[in-house]
Order: sequence, then C-alpha cells, then structure tokens
Amino acid sequence: MFTLLRKSQKILGMNARNLHYVRPLNLKNARAISDDKILSKNVLKKAGVAVPELIAKIGTREELENFDWSQLPDSFVVKPNRGFGGAGIIVLFGRKKGMKDAWVKADGSVVTAHDIYTHVHNIIEGMFSLSGVSDIAFFEERLTLLKLFRPYAYRGIPDVRIIVYNKVPVMAMLRLPTKKSGGKANLQLGGIGVGIDMATGTTTTAVQGKRKIIERTPDTHMPLSGIKIPYWDDILTMAVKAQEASKLGFLGADVVIDRDRGPVFLELNARPGLSIQVANMAGLKERLDRVAGLKIKSVARGVRVGKDLFGGEIEEVLEQTSGKRVIGSVEEVTFIGKDNKRVTVKAKIDTGAYSTSIDRKLARELGFGSTLDAFDKINLSAFSIEKKGDGAVAERVFMKEYGSAIEGLVDVSVVWSSSGVTIRPIVKLYFIMDGVRVPARVNIVDRSHLQYPAIIGKRNLGKFLVDVSK
Amino acid sequence: MSPWINSIVVNLGIPDQTVLILLMFPLVATLVAFFRQVIGIKAFGIYTPSIIALVFFMISDARYESFNIGSMFYDLRYGIAIYIAVIAIGMGMRVILKHFRLLYLPRVAITMTFLSFTVLGILILGAYMQRTGFATMYVFPLIVLVVIAEKFVAVQIEKGTKTALFLAVETLVVALCGYALLSSQTIQNFVFLHPFAVLLTIPANILLGRWTGLRVTEYIRFRDVLAHIK
Repeated sequence: MFTLLRKSQKILGMNARNLHYVRPLNLKNARAISDDKILSKNVLKKAGVAVPELIAKIGTREELENFDWSQLPDSFVVKPNRGFGGAGIIVLFGRKKGMKDAWVKADGSVVTAHDIYTHVHNIIEGMFSLSGVSDIAFFEERLTLLKLFRPYAYRGIPDVRIIVYNKVPVMAMLRLPTKKSGGKANLQLGGIGVGIDMATGTTTTAVQGKRKIIERTPDTHMPLSGIKIPYWDDILTMAVKAQEASKLGFLGADVVIDRDRGPVFLELNARPGLSIQVANMAGLKERLDRVAGLKIKSVARGVRVGKDLFGGEIEEVLEQTSGKRVIGSVEEVTFIGKDNKRVTVKAKIDTGAYSTSIDRKLARELGFGSTLDAFDKINLSAFSIEKKGDGAVAERVFMKEYGSAIEGLVDVSVVWSSSGVTIRPIVKLYFIMDGVRVPARVNIVDRSHLQYPAIIGKRNLGKFLVDVSK
Repeated sequence: MSPWINSIVVNLGIPDQTVLILLMFPLVATLVAFFRQVIGIKAFGIYTPSIIALVFFMISDARYESFNIGSMFYDLRYGIAIYIAVIAIGMGMRVILKHFRLLYLPRVAITMTFLSFTVLGILILGAYMQRTGFATMYVFPLIVLVVIAEKFVAVQIEKGTKTALFLAVETLVVALCGYALLSSQTIQNFVFLHPFAVLLTIPANILLGRWTGLRVTEYIRFRDVLAHIK
C-alpha cells in the first residue's frame, strides 16, 4: 500500500499536470501562439526552427471565391488554423494524371477542387474549431515519409513527441499511425506510442491506444524496440528551441522527420497527454522534479542535461528481454568464502580470460589461508610440464596425490604465462555481482602488483552482458 | 429544523422544498467535483450531472430513511427512461442530419424539436396506459432533460460518439449518486438543523482544488507503469 503510494508520486496525473504545470507555466499569451498554427509557424521560423512551408491561406468567403486552385502544387495538406485532435486535415499525395484541379488522397480516392472548396468553406465557417468560431484554412507543404519508418507506419507519417520543461527534454515517444487510428499518429484514436531512450534516441517499450502494451506493430508485425531515431540530437535541440521561442513552460513538441528536409517542427502542444508515461514505462513527475529549479543557460546545455539524466532505460529493457544483467568492465563484487566470510572488492571483468582468479591476500581474508599454506608446502618442481597437452595430465596426477590432503582444494590449474608454467590452487566459493549470486571455482594467484585483486572470467559471466563503455 | 430556517419557512412563506434544494445543491456540486478530481469520473462537466441529480429528485419526490438502491431505481424509472431516450435520439439525429450539412445551432434546434415531440409522445402513451406517473411530472425537469441533448451532441461532434456515450453513462452514474445524496432523509434533516454547515463545502472544495494526487482511474490507467517503476 505504501509502496504504491510512493510509486504514484512518480507519475504525473491529470490533477498535477493542470495545477502545477499547464496553468502556471503555459500562460495565456503563450497558449495563444500554440492554438494558432499559422502564428506558431511564424514564431518558430523566426527562432530558426524548420517548419512545413506555408503555401496559401484562405480566411474569408471572398478569398475563397477568388482562389486560383491551379496554383496549388502536386501535393499538399489542407488544415484548419485552430483545429484540434487532427480533425479537418486533408492530405493530398499527388495530382490526378492529366488533370489540373484534381488530386489523389492516401487511400487512392480522388479529391477535386470543388471538394476542397467545400471543405475550406466548412473550415472558415468554424466546423473544426473549438466552439465553432470562424477560422482560417491554410495549405502547407506535405512532409514525406522517411524510408526507415515505412514498414512501421500505416498511411500517415510518424512523429516524435517530446516533453520539454525548464529547457530540458524530459521524455519522448515515437508516435506511429495504424490501420485502427486511420493513418493518424494519435494515441487516443488507436495509434502506437513507442518510448525512446533519451540518451541514444533508441526506442524501448510500446503502447497502443491508452494502455495496451505491445511488442510488434499490429499491421506489419515489426518489432518496435531498438529503432534508432535518426537526427536525434537535432530533434532534441529543435524541441528546446521551440520552447524558448513559444514561451510554453511545459511543452509537448511534435517533430516529423522529412525524407528530404530532415527534422521539421510540426506542432506546439500546451496540454500534452499523459500516455507518454505508459509508452516509456516511466513516471513523468519524477523526471520533472529532477529538472525543476536547474539553471539551464543554453539550448545545448538543456539537451545535454536531458540526455544525461534520462538515458539508460535501454539497459533495463535489455535486462528484461535477455534476462541478463548489464555490467561494466569494472564492477564491485562481494566474495563469500569459508564460514560465510564476506569481502567486497573491485574486480576487473575480462571476457578474454576463461576463469576467475583472486589474489592470495584476498583468498586468506576469505578463509582459505590453511589451504594456501598446505599447497605451498608441496614441491611443485616435481611436476615438470613441457608440452601444452601435459597440463591436464599433470592436474590429474596432482589431485590424485594431494587432493584429499589439502582441505578446501577442489582442483588445480596449470597456467602458461610469460614467466613460465605455474600451478594454481582452485577453491570453490560464491560471489555476488550486480545483485546476482554466482557459484564459482576460482584460482588463487599473486596479484599484489596488479590494480584489481580479482578478475572475473567468462566462465562465470553467463548471467551478464558486458557494456565496455560503462 | 433550526429556528432560523423555521422562521424563513413559517413567517416568510418560502416553500421548504425550495430552501432544501438551495441548501443541498452545494453538496451535490461538491460531490461532482470529488468524482472528477479524486475518482476521475469526468461526466459532462459539473452543471449537467448536478442538474440531472436535481431533476431526478424533483421527478421522484422521494425520501429515503436508509440507502436502498432498489427502490431508488424504481422511483426513478421514468427519469432514467427519458434520459436514455434523450441520448438515443441525440445520437440518431446526428446520423440523420449529417446528410443535410447544417450549421451547429440549427442542427441542435431540430434535435430539440424531435425530443420535445418524443417526450410529449411518451406522456400521451403513459396517459393511455393509465400510467399517471408520467403525466404528473413537472414540465421544467422535462425541459432540462431535453437540454441535456445539446451537451451530448456538442461532445459527440468534438470527441466522437464513443466518448460521448461513455460520458453519458458517467453522467448518469454521478447524477444517481447526487440523487441518493439529495433524497437522503438523514442529510436533509442535518442541513435543516445546521444550514450553515453547508458552507463547509468551501474549505472542502479548496482542498479538492489543490489535490494533485493520482485519480483512482489513473491508478488503473497507469497500473502497468506502477508495476514497472521501482
């Protein structure tokens, strides 16, 4: 019960979003910009953010009657200036062959200039604006689908939603249109939201609609995790710039990656939805709290902070899917020796070594002193080993002769190195690394001149993945 | 009854039913606010569920000594029937009027016309079937139910039929809870005895207005995230 309460503090709910973020941070004049698509376009363009090019706009009946339809390009988008939820948008892919004023939609149906005339008429009458006030219709450049996204998107174009707060990008998701959502990248309509690792721009977990967890696209069965979003740094930079320019303190930034132009800023959102938390399997509140009050001086700094603070989910996902823990090249390891003696040291993780070795001093601390003393009394020169193949024979002979006499010794290992041939005693113990308890047979050697008193070899690394950059 | 209320009712001749409704209304509104902020049941804003709760109360004119859901539904059978009819007609008219491509207000006006005649039809039918329960209903509550259709149509246009239907059901649930509150004999006695205790809804709403915890429905919505985070 208490853990649930503690965990719930990390998630951003509707109440907290409105009271702590939207209302105090997205003031009226900033919202006036985000609610007006043409105005947003101008403000963002001035701030050096790439936006879809405006082709033409129609705000009155008179302009509509006098509009020259043949001036429109082969492909474009019609939008209501104050539309919401993607309503009233028509996307035209190309001119119908041999016709000057007819175009084709994504589903292949033909739209004539007369159809567009009626649609624009409805827009300026306020059919798609909140509370039905009269509106402006505009035509803008159609963004084209990146080849990478083709197998993931149904008809429409995916976009990247980024929550920006205090100049720091705190959470992001890739939104994919589906058959169910009618080609719109809108989660409420049944689109897919895929969480993104902030540091690398690689996708993690995914949700369809409000809370259905999925692993593959429903239409094409493509795996959704591990997609590397191109231009990731540029996208984050663009989102932070847009926040500065729009003065929305709590911004949902929508960015589309165009095949030719790269990242293009699509829309400012003053009331971003909360499902991004399900897509990322992470709480937004916790992230916002970590960023609150930081003094971020530049756009680049904000991007840096976001990447540093909120990267690393990839690792967790990897651990979940592979069932293996991700460790670095040096890890803290607790050895458990005789009589439960515990010693914690830093150990080198070496996938080039076959077995695990510990220093003589460490072995004594773990209670193998008597084993070492008994082993040292044996005259090892009696075992002259010339050829490599003799090693195994020598080990067998040694154990037959002394094995039962030396307490704690389970085996010996013959090792060739630059200083010649050595025979090392092997003992059995456990070690705990990154929370995992591993039984191990380790050989004891003098490592006093080396940096780490222990080295973990690949024989004991079966439950781990090694990330060398860690 | 507190002496103050007593003097209002007896000396000034203000109907006790009116005084009661005015005193109970803040409680219903607070209940609706609680449903939204703490539980997460949205309904059609605050006005619609409160006014429907009130209409149900006026239609049934019942008092309950103890909470009894069976008799509550029985007393409200006509009210609930009309509510469902209103929503169904609002939905049906949308489909029919879509082809005419009309602007919003004329379209709603046509819907209202149909609704008025439907309710009139139900009353006539009730009279023929010797169901006096319908005919004795006040006209004002009936008109209010018809007006609800506008709210429904507006949401339907903005957010789609599925969402509108969902919100209509939520509204009915909240209104029924409001009705249970209004018709409770215990609470009625209490507000008559301590009319100024109703002002406690103000601090209660200040608390609700500052409540930033997750709503009950959000615990369900984010349950996978809650299970995942450490």
